[in-house]
Amino acid sequence: MSAEGISFVLEVNDVRRDFGGVKAVDGASFSAQRGKITGLIGPNGAGKSTLMSIIAGAIKPVSGRITFEGRDLTGLPSHRVARAGIIRTFQMSAEFAKLSVIENLLVAPRAQKGESLLGAELGRMYWGRDEQALVDRARDVLDRFAMTAKENELAGNLSGGQKRLLEIMRALMAEPKMLLLDEPFAGVNPSLARQIEQYLLDLRDEGLSMIMVEHELAVVERVCDPVVVMAQGKVISEGSMHDVGAREEVLNAYLVG
Amino acid sequence: MSDSMQFYISTLLIYLFIDIMGVLGLNLQFGVAGIINFAYIVFVAVGAYTCAVLSLGPDYAGNFQHYAFGASWPFPLPILAAGVVSGLLSLIVGVISLRRLRSDYQAMVMLVLSLIATLVATNATGLVNGPAGLATVPQPLADVLNLAPLEYQWVYAGWCAFLTAVIFLFVRGITNSPLGRTLRAMRDNDRAASALGKSVTNLRLMIFVVGGVIAGISGAVFVEFIQAWSPGSWLYPETFVFLAAIIVGGAANNWGVMVGTLLVPVGFLEATRFLPQVFYDGFIEAMQWVCVGLLILLFLWFRPQGLFPERPSRFQPRPQAQPAARPPE
Repeated sequence: MSAEGISFVLEVNDVRRDFGGVKAVDGASFSAQRGKITGLIGPNGAGKSTLMSIIAGAIKPVSGRITFEGRDLTGLPSHRVARAGIIRTFQMSAEFAKLSVIENLLVAPRAQKGESLLGAELGRMYWGRDEQALVDRARDVLDRFAMTAKENELAGNLSGGQKRLLEIMRALMAEPKMLLLDEPFAGVNPSLARQIEQYLLDLRDEGLSMIMVEHELAVVERVCDPVVVMAQGKVISEGSMHDVGAREEVLNAYLVG
Repeated sequence: MSDSMQFYISTLLIYLFIDIMGVLGLNLQFGVAGIINFAYIVFVAVGAYTCAVLSLGPDYAGNFQHYAFGASWPFPLPILAAGVVSGLLSLIVGVISLRRLRSDYQAMVMLVLSLIATLVATNATGLVNGPAGLATVPQPLADVLNLAPLEYQWVYAGWCAFLTAVIFLFVRGITNSPLGRTLRAMRDNDRAASALGKSVTNLRLMIFVVGGVIAGISGAVFVEFIQAWSPGSWLYPETFVFLAAIIVGGAANNWGVMVGTLLVPVGFLEATRFLPQVFYDGFIEAMQWVCVGLLILLFLWFRPQGLFPERPSRFQPRPQAQPAARPPE
C-alpha cells in the first residue's frame, strides 16, 4: 500500500478499548512507515502504552482494525502477532531472570528444531546443528552490542540499562520486521542511553521499522520521524517533530494534560 | 546382612526410585515450567488406581471389594494404561485451568481439585471401593518368576531403577534441549515469552500432560509394590512432600531434585520413624507434616535456589578468540 511514494507497513484504524468506564484508547488511528522510527508521544494517561499492547496482541481492542503488511492482525493473541513479525519490548524490563544472557537470546528464534517434544527427545544429533547456528548468531549480536563479556551472566544480575539492551538483542534474534519499543530508555544512564539511540538508528538504516513510546522529547526529536501525538485516547496530530511541536492542540494537550 | 535388613534396604530403595520418578515429573511442571500443581498427587493416585483395577480382574458379586473397570491385563499394560489415563486427566484439567487463569489462581484450582478428588474416591464407593480402598493388587510377574519374597524385592528394586533411569533420560531430553530453555523462559516471564512468538498455553498444556503421565506411571509402579491403595495414601499434603524435595534439592536441576528426594521423602520422613513415640500415638506422624512445611519455609527464606541451583547451559567457545569489548555499565 503506497501513496505518494510512502510505504505504510502498519496501519491502526479507529481502535478503541475501555477499562470499565475509562476509555483508554478512544478511536486511535495512525500509520507507521517502513524503515522509519515512528514516535508515539503524549501526556501521561494518553493511552500510548495501551495502544502498544493492543498492537502487540496483549490487549484485545473493542473495535477497530490493525493491519500489518496488508494482513489483518486485529484480535490475534500476542504469540501470533510476534510470528507475523512484530516484536515488542516492555516498559518494565522483562528479562528471563534465571537464564543466562546468551540463553535469553537463544529463546527468541522461532520454530527451533529442538523446541518440540519429539525434537527435544531426538536429541542433539537432531537439533545440535540448528542450535550451533543460533549460538553463532547470538554471539554476533552480543559482539555488536558490546555484551560479549556478559554471555554467561544470569540476566537477573544485569544492570537496568543492560537489561534494556538485552531485550533489544533478544528481539533482534527473533528476526522481526517491526519493533515496538515501550520507553526503551527508562532507567538507563545517559551515556548508555545515547549508545542505545545510536544502535536503534543503525537498525533503522538497515531497514527495520519501529514504533517507540518515549517521554523525553529531546530523544524523540533526535530519533523519531515521524511523530504521532496522542491525548485522551485519540491521535491528535501526526507529522515531523518540528511540525507537530508547533501545533496548538499538541501544546494544549501537554500543558493541560 | 540379615534378611530383615535386606528387606528394609530394598524397600527403601524401591521407595526412593518411585519417589524420584514422581519428583522428576513434578519438577518438569513446577521447577522448569513454573506451573504450581498442588494436585500432583492426584495424578499419581489415578495412575495407581488405574493400574490396580486393571490387574485385579473383573469385579464379581461376592467380592470383598468393589470397583469399576476391573480387568486382568498382563504386565506391563496396566502401567502403560496408568500413564495414559493420568495423561488424559491432565489434559482435561489443563484445558480447564491452565488457559485463562493466572498462576496463583491455577494453584488454588489445583489444591481444590486435590480435595475434590479425595472426596470422590471416598464417597463414590463403587468406583474404587471408597474409604477402604483396594487391596490384594497382584505383584507383576510374581507367578512367572516364582521367586522367594526377598529375591522378588531385589528384582523389583532393579525394575524400579530401570524405570527411573528411563524417565530420567526422557526428562533430561527435555531439560537439556531448546524446549527446556523455552519452558524456563516462560516460567521466568510468560508475557515476554509470548511476545517472542511462543504459545504459552500450548507449552503449559504439553508439559502438564508429560508430568501427569510420569505421575501416573510412578503411582502404578508404587501400587504394584505395596499392593494396596486407598484415599488415605494420597492426601493433598503428599504433594507438598514432593514440592519440599524439589525446593530443598534445587528446582529445575534434575540431579538436585533427586538428592532432594533422598533427603526429604526418604531420609527425613524415614528417620522420624525411629523417634520414640511421645505424647500420644500418631504424634510423630502428625509432626511430619509440620516439619515438611517448616522445611519448605526455611528454604524459601534462606536458600530459595535449593542445595543445587539451576544451571544455565554454557556453549563451546568460538574457535578464534576475539577480544571482548567492555560491556556498558
